[in-house]
Amino acid sequence: MRRPSVSALVVIVGILLLADFLVVNESLGQIASLIVDLAILVAAGAALAAVASLAARRGTDLVRQRGDPVGAVLVVVGIGAMAVAGLRPGADGASDPAVRWLLAALVIPIGATLFGLLFVSTLGAARRSVLSRDRTATLLVIVALVSLVLLLPFGGELGAWLRSVSGWTLEVPIAAVFRGLLVGVAILTAVFAARTMLGISPRDD
Amino acid sequence: MGLLLRAAPLGLLLLLSVGWLLPQPSGLTLAARASDIALRVEATLDAMPESPVVVVGFDPDIGTYPEIRPAVRALLADLLEREARLVLVNVTPEGRALLLAEIGRLRASSERAVMVDLGFVAGAEAALVALSRTAPAPDAPVALRAQLAADGIAAADLIVVVGGNEIGPRTWVEQVLPRVDQLPLVAISPTVLLPELLPYVESGQVDALIGTPGDGAAYRESVASTPGAAADDRLVDRLALLLGLLVGIAVLGQALGERILPGLRIGGRGERA
Repeated sequence: MRRPSVSALVVIVGILLLADFLVVNESLGQIASLIVDLAILVAAGAALAAVASLAARRGTDLVRQRGDPVGAVLVVVGIGAMAVAGLRPGADGASDPAVRWLLAALVIPIGATLFGLLFVSTLGAARRSVLSRDRTATLLVIVALVSLVLLLPFGGELGAWLRSVSGWTLEVPIAAVFRGLLVGVAILTAVFAARTMLGISPRDD
Repeated sequence: MGLLLRAAPLGLLLLLSVGWLLPQPSGLTLAARASDIALRVEATLDAMPESPVVVVGFDPDIGTYPEIRPAVRALLADLLEREARLVLVNVTPEGRALLLAEIGRLRASSERAVMVDLGFVAGAEAALVALSRTAPAPDAPVALRAQLAADGIAAADLIVVVGGNEIGPRTWVEQVLPRVDQLPLVAISPTVLLPELLPYVESGQVDALIGTPGDGAAYRESVASTPGAAADDRLVDRLALLLGLLVGIAVLGQALGERILPGLRIGGRGERA
């Protein structure tokens, strides 16, 4: 068994939050609120630390001339540009027009473009998978092909039929598989949480 | 043949460009079967009181947002047309970035719109729990500010969730709805989330879900006659979509055909290797 201090903390916090959820009590509510605020502060601190760590890491890469210099320059310049736009004297923070321009004109289109490229790269990967003669990959590609046909945006009776079949595939077989996976994940999460709270490690098995 | 394969992405881009530039043919549509989704959304919105307070949890992903953007813009325009007071909040940085762009567009298109921006709240699920207790809104009109401070999200008449992979309708159902006395919830999410969200729709926890581009197109068509709604956004280019899908079908079909009938092979040994 591990030392119970962290597990005990998890149990106490969990029980407090559950009790607050079930019982109307002002003191309990204030304690739960304090815990939630603490979680928010920790999350915000972790996010800031992650950005600082990324900037420091890439800055060090640049100074020591190691790794990918182009990537390092882009990361450092990107963080710097956004920080200057939002934090310069007189700026309006995240709502500043300069920040909005950077987001609307650069960040969002570039991000969407990267996802758009997935269309080409996924087609290439699917093609290579079929040519590799892997049976599972071939089955996957056959299903993908059928899905693409079902998504064709035709009007009229043909289009209505395609959309009807497409809706059925989403709501019946695919939903059934997803639900099975989710139920499995939920059971494993519950087991893992119980083991954590009880301080049971793999060595105890 | 190798040159042809290398030039294929450029050819695809040219083809899609042609699809964007040509007029949209009338025989193509994205609208889903029947428009029961649109009817459910409209019924939920119709049940709201006059000048309702609508909390909008806006946390889509940059990658999947283009899929739901037309429906999101139509819904926001529809809500503003109903004189809803929008209380906007993000708990993800990506959602914040996308919302800032949308706020600028909405303010430019509707000067009389009442929009209260709660900003980005760190903590994801913990942030939602905190907001269900109290939602500080220093820039809100006095009465609404007091309501939000006292009751948090429960001060709203409706919750609208624009979801992504990280935070979406499921998180709101789990973290917020039990704490705010089951407010009505309308959600818009990318198709990839649909299978996990359908149980919440069937159980009534999500009152209406626009979960596919087809549902979005159907809803958009239903509000097309509403002044201001959906008028200022570019429609999804059906011809470009059709051409892209046909290219996908052709590439995958050729690969499968090559597997079955070697005579269809266009790649050569190098590619197979």
